[in-house]
Amino acid sequence: MKRIGIARSLLYYHYFYLWKTFFEELGVEVVLSSPTNKKILENGMKKAVDDTCLPVKLTFGHLMDLADRVDYLFIPRLVSIEPDAFTCPKLIGLPDMIKANLENLPTVLDTCFDIKKGISLYQSFLELGQNFTNKTALINNAFQKAEMKQKEFEKTMEKGLTPEEAIDIMEGSPSPANNNPVKPRTEDLKIGLIGHPYNLYDNYINMDLIEKLRQGGCQVITAEMLPAPVMKKEAAAWREDIFWTMGRKMVGAAFHFFNSNRVDGIICCISFECGPDSLLEVLILEEARKHKEIPYMSLIIDEHTGEAGVVTRVEAFLDMIRRKR
Amino acid sequence: MKGYLGIDVGSVTTKMVVLNEDDEVIAYNYLRTGGNPVKAVQEGLKDIIERLDPLTTIQAVGTTGSGRYLAGVLVGADTIKNEITAHAVAATCLIPEAKTVFEIGGQDSKIIIIRDEIVIDFAMNTVCAAGTGSFLDHQAARINLPIEKFGEYALKARNPVRIAGRCTVFAESDMIHKQQTGHNREDIIAGLCQALVRNYLNNIAKGKELLSPFLFQGGVAANQGIKAAFERELESEVIVPPHHAVMGAIGVAILAQEELASRGEKTKFKSFEVAEADYQTSSFECGDCANFCEVVQLSLSDQPVSRWGSRCRKWEV
Repeated sequence: MKRIGIARSLLYYHYFYLWKTFFEELGVEVVLSSPTNKKILENGMKKAVDDTCLPVKLTFGHLMDLADRVDYLFIPRLVSIEPDAFTCPKLIGLPDMIKANLENLPTVLDTCFDIKKGISLYQSFLELGQNFTNKTALINNAFQKAEMKQKEFEKTMEKGLTPEEAIDIMEGSPSPANNNPVKPRTEDLKIGLIGHPYNLYDNYINMDLIEKLRQGGCQVITAEMLPAPVMKKEAAAWREDIFWTMGRKMVGAAFHFFNSNRVDGIICCISFECGPDSLLEVLILEEARKHKEIPYMSLIIDEHTGEAGVVTRVEAFLDMIRRKR
Repeated sequence: MKGYLGIDVGSVTTKMVVLNEDDEVIAYNYLRTGGNPVKAVQEGLKDIIERLDPLTTIQAVGTTGSGRYLAGVLVGADTIKNEITAHAVAATCLIPEAKTVFEIGGQDSKIIIIRDEIVIDFAMNTVCAAGTGSFLDHQAARINLPIEKFGEYALKARNPVRIAGRCTVFAESDMIHKQQTGHNREDIIAGLCQALVRNYLNNIAKGKELLSPFLFQGGVAANQGIKAAFERELESEVIVPPHHAVMGAIGVAILAQEELASRGEKTKFKSFEVAEADYQTSSFECGDCANFCEVVQLSLSDQPVSRWGSRCRKWEV
């Protein structure tokens, strides 16, 4: 059986089941890189272009973790996944950055996804599937199943689960969170957490932010836990179209939290060198200023390993909300 | 006499205060952490006991600052609080009508927005320590001027020069350039103070509603030049509290007292003998998984008393 490697980074958190199911239906074994660890981070820092953001650097590390274990690496070129928006420039250039900087890679599958150019999602998957079979019916079937499974994945997260927790449930493996010896306190606060999934759900890089909030007595709500139409509606209410798909989701979630009165505080977690976020944060800040009753904090993450910065800010933020009561 | 001890172990300095029952400072000190927080806490305890009435009994202890967990384990703290909450509590205790608190320390700078004695917003510097105390220290050393004199020199300036305040490295090259073209020290120092304040207001205070009364706390508040630069930019008076450098310690002493009162418990303070005990810290890299956590161990006479730093918590004692 052929083996294809998928990096546990970037859009893995969005599209895991779409990709995994598609490949498995075609008889290809999917191999994931290890969860982010020190070695992956260090490898990524060493090999990636200096000016790029931490999530992209991490992807280098994840692909290096996979390279020796697989026949293919799946590094899709996601240009546009909505008719009227782009993904981020670093995602568009990702396969090129990887191929230019990493040597001795297995075959790289860098299928282009570009809906804005008129290439449908199906067409891209058809092209991708043709690497493994020339039977169109087989690819069609795999694509349909993949879309269904992806919907199920998204519905599972809407129950208030992180992607990793949803995957654990769908795979039938017990969630490590249930084995955690430290019992959380009763949750007396609701925190809306906004940011890219690859920042929010990579526990290594965000210093276990979600777990820290839960231990601190918070129920955490993220964009992935909200139904997609809610965010589309909120983001559409903005005075102009937002250029980036991921940014739309972030701003949509932020606006929803500010306007729906369902959270006690909002934390926006962004990585230091993220270009789009540095602009979007200004929009979110502008909205925050109109809603002074809801405390807002931004948390910037980078490659530090010291927890102090994150811990201090989170503790102070929760203290602030509780002392206000 | 009853005393409440607050310990603030910062990146550069360690501060201690003892308050009486009316939240008045009866003793305080301010020492360099010198890269060794354990020793700094022990030295601080030895020093503060000298400043106390021998009949004082410590009723509650709190720790804050980036070394708060280590210090908390060491002395047996009743409360371990982040420095933002501690600073805010101290500020509102001293000046209940305070609305904006600027705090500039060794590696951190913060802004705390308070309304009706409650924190409603705050921010801390992000990934860069530009414009904090460490940078001023470094510049003072470079131009061979004791840091204590910095403010005095800044106030003597006639024509402060313009210096780029966005980045420490650029600020330094700007300062050297100005120095080499012949500007005098006073004008360069005053220019640096203005650059630092500009940077602070444009970054940390970005988007915040700045209302007076303004309080300026932290070690850097000792610098009259920075205070003057704030007042110039804000066109308003900036209050530097008498115990500005130890406000975090004051705040956490008050919090410890509150916490014990609400829980109705006795203090866990281990006594001043902690200062004489043979504490050692060591660290090792755990190789049991790919995370290679850096585990820190605190030992008392070669017996481990606490460990931290492992993600999975397996090393905790």
